[in-house]
Amino acid sequence: MSGSSAAAFAAKAKLDSSFRKRGVSIALTSGITYGLYTAFMTYAMSQGIWSDWYGANTTGLSAFAVIYLLGALGAAVTDTSSAVWAFSITAARGRIGDFFRTIKTKPGKVMVVGALFGGPIASTAYVIGLQMAGSIIVPISALCPAIGAIIARFLFKQPLTMRILAGIAICFLASLLIASTSLGGDAPEGMALGLVFGFIAAIGWGFEGCVCGYGTSMIDSEVAITIRQVTSGLSNLIILVPIFGMMSGDGMTLSLVTQAFTDSSMLWFAVAGFFAYLNFMLWYKGNGMCGAALGMSCNGAYSFWGPLCCWVILGIFFGIDGWEMQPIAWFSAVLMVAGIVTIAMNPLDLFKKKEAVQYEAA
Amino acid sequence: MKPLNYAMLKHFTTVPEACVQDVMEALKPQYGDFKAFQKDSMISAIMTAAANGLLEESRFELDDQNELRVYYRAHEEGAATINTYIE
Repeated sequence: MSGSSAAAFAAKAKLDSSFRKRGVSIALTSGITYGLYTAFMTYAMSQGIWSDWYGANTTGLSAFAVIYLLGALGAAVTDTSSAVWAFSITAARGRIGDFFRTIKTKPGKVMVVGALFGGPIASTAYVIGLQMAGSIIVPISALCPAIGAIIARFLFKQPLTMRILAGIAICFLASLLIASTSLGGDAPEGMALGLVFGFIAAIGWGFEGCVCGYGTSMIDSEVAITIRQVTSGLSNLIILVPIFGMMSGDGMTLSLVTQAFTDSSMLWFAVAGFFAYLNFMLWYKGNGMCGAALGMSCNGAYSFWGPLCCWVILGIFFGIDGWEMQPIAWFSAVLMVAGIVTIAMNPLDLFKKKEAVQYEAA
Repeated sequence: MKPLNYAMLKHFTTVPEACVQDVMEALKPQYGDFKAFQKDSMISAIMTAAANGLLEESRFELDDQNELRVYYRAHEEGAATINTYIE
């Protein structure tokens, strides 16, 4: 091998390795930003008018409205503020023209469909599932990387080997262990139907992660996420909230929406919206760079980051009781890393590399 | 006018192979003033398209300035997918 071709091989190997490492870092960071977005949204929904709605309830909301309508409203306010962030950042970075050009095209429309699956459909199914079956829904929804990997296998011919499936199973087990700390006798009647809703959420997020991740191979990830957040924010606000409003029959939906958007808690919803923007952008980008199986499993570490961020922000920073981390969550985080490594590479290669280095040194 | 990423992918369906420098040269008249018209982000977009099977690597070399040039091509299936989604 000549000196110049050896240098070219080295430069190429460096480029490939840096791309892969960047993809995994982006996908992992998306899990952390998911934790931050959850923590700040939870905090926002305990401030200002929300503390009255969920507490003294002087407005006189029905039990249905408190559970479903407020849940949908909280998601709608977060997604709308996230859409404002996405739109503003995309405009500031000179990509807003591409946003309008892309949304009219076939990949843009596919992105809208993906956003509808992951936004209102999966999120609503998740909330309803939680209400009907309790916290067993959390690990059920964590099946989304497996579902995403299977869909990606058939739609986009991405690899799905026994090793990848084993890695996904390890990540799922870790999520199950984390959720087990909150599992209890909270499984009410209608649990079977609740589990079905949990699966619908997993399918919705699996479909979104794989289709929209693939979409970033054609669409700039910042443009893609602006399409996602605008679609999700508007559909939650214009479709989902009015539907739950009509079902609750309280006739106060418009008033609740107005109060939510003009309340002091909007400051915290703006913070939550910023992290939601980062979370989904990094999720899509990571899935595009790593493939659905690895990207979604790295993001799936949110099962650990969610409780950790809630403990740090709500428990330590804001001094709210009840957010302490259980030791099993730390153990599960290590297990999850093992699962992600199993998906990313054959763990036996670690030993082979060592042997190769020793051989070269000799 | 197409979005920049679409124009990049479409370019690969019109030439046997290209590296990012070739793509930038070809698209500069139309997209040169775009803020996103940056080599790093364009390399990342091309590598993402390759990771998802739309493009494939054909070869690589160091140029006169000792800069790495990786060439990609749209294989038959990739070109068909690009042409199906991007008019």
